[in-house]
Amino acid sequence: MQTETTLAQADVSELDLVKRCQAGETEAFDELVTRYRTRIFAMIYNMVHNEQDAWDLAQDSFVKAWKSIKRFRGRSSFYTWIYRIVMNVTIDWLRKKQVKGAGVEFDDAIQLREVNPASKTLPKADPLPYERMERTEVRARIDNAITQLSPEHRAVILMKETEGMQYHEIAEALGCSIGTVMSRLFYARKKLQNLLKDVYENI
Amino acid sequence: MKTFEEKWTAWLDDQLTGKELADFEASLPDKEAAEAEKRDATKLGTLLKQELGAQPFSNEEFFNHQLRERIARENAQDQHGRGGERSTWWTVPRLVWTGAASLALFMICAVAVMREKAPSERSEYLTQILNMRVDPVVSPNATVSVFETKGDRVTVIWTEGLQSLPSDYAAK
Repeated sequence: MQTETTLAQADVSELDLVKRCQAGETEAFDELVTRYRTRIFAMIYNMVHNEQDAWDLAQDSFVKAWKSIKRFRGRSSFYTWIYRIVMNVTIDWLRKKQVKGAGVEFDDAIQLREVNPASKTLPKADPLPYERMERTEVRARIDNAITQLSPEHRAVILMKETEGMQYHEIAEALGCSIGTVMSRLFYARKKLQNLLKDVYENI
Repeated sequence: MKTFEEKWTAWLDDQLTGKELADFEASLPDKEAAEAEKRDATKLGTLLKQELGAQPFSNEEFFNHQLRERIARENAQDQHGRGGERSTWWTVPRLVWTGAASLALFMICAVAVMREKAPSERSEYLTQILNMRVDPVVSPNATVSVFETKGDRVTVIWTEGLQSLPSDYAAK
């Protein structure tokens, strides 16, 4: 019950922020950005595997959201609405770039993660070097497997598995039917299961 | 009607219930293999959530700062653009009025020119020549008749009793 109340308050507050944005208040938009920037950045990063590109695409997405926020009617949650923008921006970018392999981009991603001093989610104790190496290898395998999916399949599997979104939310974010979402999930899972079986079997 | 892929995905995510679930499970040729694949899918989901879920995001405040600057720039550009649009819209009536005035002027000039150039019932040029050249001293019995066919725009000049033509007449 308490959770429901908290969620309701959060929703009202979010709607209030959206209304203030629609009235042209950039401070309200700043608050919305602060709420969603980490999740959106992570989502984009997992799709493009490059920190700088993810940063730029997140910026572009938020700018687009600001420009079109007056058209937001509140039929869906703000989160689903902004995800639609994020997905359009990211999938368009991936299509243009035609990312197929993962070589250098991949190593760059690992390096960037290794030297990230500002992370707020630092573990209590540093992992041992071999553990760190193992995790890096696992992450590299996952990233490599994901790059072998089409942008649309990447989007679907990431939204489902890392964001825990429902089929209808994914469908809304991608502008497709629920059936298409389920079908894409089927093929994305099959492919990742083939590519990562030894990884998840050994964890 | 759901496809096999849709049903399979719904089954993996525990979204099938009741008769739909029973029908689907009954249709599976190898239930054990399917259950093993379901466990695999769950493990894959756990792995993805664990490895990709928490992506560190550095320089968060700078991200907001950069975004604020971009939005401020975009807003300024939009306002400038709207100003430009407004001035463009203001010139449209001007263009319309200028166009209408030009057209009216053109019409007036065209009517004037057409009036001037409208073929007269009698060729003024030839009439003048005849008036000037048929000299009663030179040709006292000369008579001139003019016939005109308006439809064919032909004028026939019939002269009688003309003694001579001036030497420069043919050249005219």
